[in-house]
Amino acid sequence: MARQVNAADAVLVAEEVERRFEAVEALRGVSLSVRCGELFGLIGPDGAGKTTMVRALAGLIGVHGGRVRVLGRDPLRNPVVRDAMGVMPQHYSLYGDLSVIENLRFFGRLFCLPRREFTERSARLLDITRLAPFTDRRADALSGGMYKKLALACALLHRPAVLLLDEPTNGVDPVSRRELWELLHEFVGEGMAVLLSTAYMDEAERCHRVCLLHGGCVIAAGEPRALVRQLEHPVFEVRGGDRVALHALLEGFSGVIAASPAGDRLRVVLVASTVPALTAELGTLGAALAPVTADFEDVFLTRIAAAGDAPRASAAARPLAGPVARGDA
Amino acid sequence: MLPRPLIQLLAVAKKETLQTVNDRRMVALLMIAPALQLGILGAAVDFDVDRVATVVVDHDRSAASRHHIEHVLADGTLRRAFDTTSDAEALAAIDQGRAVAAVIVPPGFGERLERGEPAEIQFVAAGTDPNQSAVATAAAGRYARFESARLVAAARSARGTPTAGGPSTGSVRQAPGPVVLVPRVLHNPRLRTAVYMVPGVMALLLAVVTLIIAAMGLARERETGTLEQVMVTPIGATTLLAGKLLPYLVAGLFDLLMALVVAAFAFGVPINGNLGVVFLGTAAYLTSTLGTGLLVSTLSRTQQQAFIGGFLCMLPALLLSGVMTPLWGIPEWLRPLTYVNPVCYYAVIVRGVLIKGATLSELWFELLALAGIGVTVLAFAAWRFRRGLG
Repeated sequence: MARQVNAADAVLVAEEVERRFEAVEALRGVSLSVRCGELFGLIGPDGAGKTTMVRALAGLIGVHGGRVRVLGRDPLRNPVVRDAMGVMPQHYSLYGDLSVIENLRFFGRLFCLPRREFTERSARLLDITRLAPFTDRRADALSGGMYKKLALACALLHRPAVLLLDEPTNGVDPVSRRELWELLHEFVGEGMAVLLSTAYMDEAERCHRVCLLHGGCVIAAGEPRALVRQLEHPVFEVRGGDRVALHALLEGFSGVIAASPAGDRLRVVLVASTVPALTAELGTLGAALAPVTADFEDVFLTRIAAAGDAPRASAAARPLAGPVARGDA
Repeated sequence: MLPRPLIQLLAVAKKETLQTVNDRRMVALLMIAPALQLGILGAAVDFDVDRVATVVVDHDRSAASRHHIEHVLADGTLRRAFDTTSDAEALAAIDQGRAVAAVIVPPGFGERLERGEPAEIQFVAAGTDPNQSAVATAAAGRYARFESARLVAAARSARGTPTAGGPSTGSVRQAPGPVVLVPRVLHNPRLRTAVYMVPGVMALLLAVVTLIIAAMGLARERETGTLEQVMVTPIGATTLLAGKLLPYLVAGLFDLLMALVVAAFAFGVPINGNLGVVFLGTAAYLTSTLGTGLLVSTLSRTQQQAFIGGFLCMLPALLLSGVMTPLWGIPEWLRPLTYVNPVCYYAVIVRGVLIKGATLSELWFELLALAGIGVTVLAFAAWRFRRGLG
């Protein structure tokens, strides 16, 4: 059951936001809100509009329709809100030719942190990100995970009330990913409002609330567990049988809403009424259906299929991160 | 506690300095290249014409012809390439580029002179390089005038000596002497090209370095994504730009100092005026070149585009500056461009102070014009930059 968000305590609000880039409609009426102490996930495949939404919330770009509010103000016209906002862009955005500490010091000065506060804060951030032994290393000599943690530290120097992270775990190894999530939960526990975007479905389940973005539209929103519970279709695993033959069969079978690989098996979301027919067909190939608990990826694939422009979200055409996404869960 | 924009400005300036110092190539480009290039360009851009290859055709072969041929070549402007007996061969040599000029002495030259009749020497010059042929012809002409005056004077005194009464008696009216023009060149008495060119080349080099660096600097931040990270901090766009340009303004003033040392010691450029005026002018000039660089970077997405854009701005600025070619040589319809070209004003200031010793009161118009252009360009670039962010 989704927690009701009161407009008054939402610190991050988007209302029917539209944004075009020449002919491309990146956002087509996206609404969301995030409040203090909440971890909000903007989930979607590449090209869904996640980065555009984050940039609009950060006040880096304007919107063509609707409105964006951070702490009640338009971030584009009120640079003041940046004092209370931390942003970590998706791509490399620190000075690669400066050292870890030089980067921190530079951003600390831009936020006009007094020297003592900076010293305390940077020491703590270097400690929790375990970057302390590398303060003199150039940023472009850091590994992907360390670099992301430095970017996070730079975004957190000024104790922002709102934190925006654009695909923070993209290109980060599993250990660093887990560390990053632990850090985020710690900050959220202290009352920070965090919005992050990701294409990894397993990460959706670590958020308090999510919004599924596809083609610039919200195709589902709410608590991830509730979204999984609300899935109206049964999910099965296909066991046994020849993989190539199974693919051919599932491709042509109209009751299959979504199919995705799970380890060495196939996972399918089916229209309930077609289950007996498919069971019979699979029998001829020596395969059987075994019911499994739905997970967030099943929800996502089903919602994309329902959204229309991807008539069948099959494993072959899946725009997601691939088997890694599930294997990591 | 300093005001916030000042803290941020200093932070950006410090970061920019750190990045520049970390990059050896940038340090070389900023600190050494201008002085080095000034040395090379100042030596290479030399319009002094001398040692022009000259063919000698002496049909007369008399003592007088040999005397005059030697003397017309004596000042070093003309250099004897080779001798021939055929006019056609001399002209062919000019056609083939083996010589640039020819001195032809007709037969009977010595006899005519002895008889006191006008005698001719023919001087042929290739017009391929108008400057060179003009200088060569002038040198030959100068000698002819000088020699004629000497011969006339000699003839007159020869006629005067029999009246042994002396000139003071005035009993014999002498023919009036020729009017002689004695030119005197101020400021650069030896008319050395370097004295004129080096200050101009300084203006060009400062423009190249600062314009390209300003254009590339912002484009690099955009290309590497760092601009985005900076723009989500509370820093204002104007503060950011000012912070980025400040170190290059300082570097440009340092370059000026180096260039002045090279100009004075390597090229003997005089420093006749107040260097304070030069520095003031340079600060105003750099504002406009850095501003133009910034403007270029707001029009480009990548460093490469910024680099090419910077050079596209440089070329007309140099050609329409009056540094290499005189301003009056520029066609009428292009002249208005020279009024907004900072290089024009700056060249006037540097040349004025160094060579003529011009003072603030003589150069206030150029200084104001430079400052005006600088502030306008910078404000426009800042406006475009801010708008481009939204």
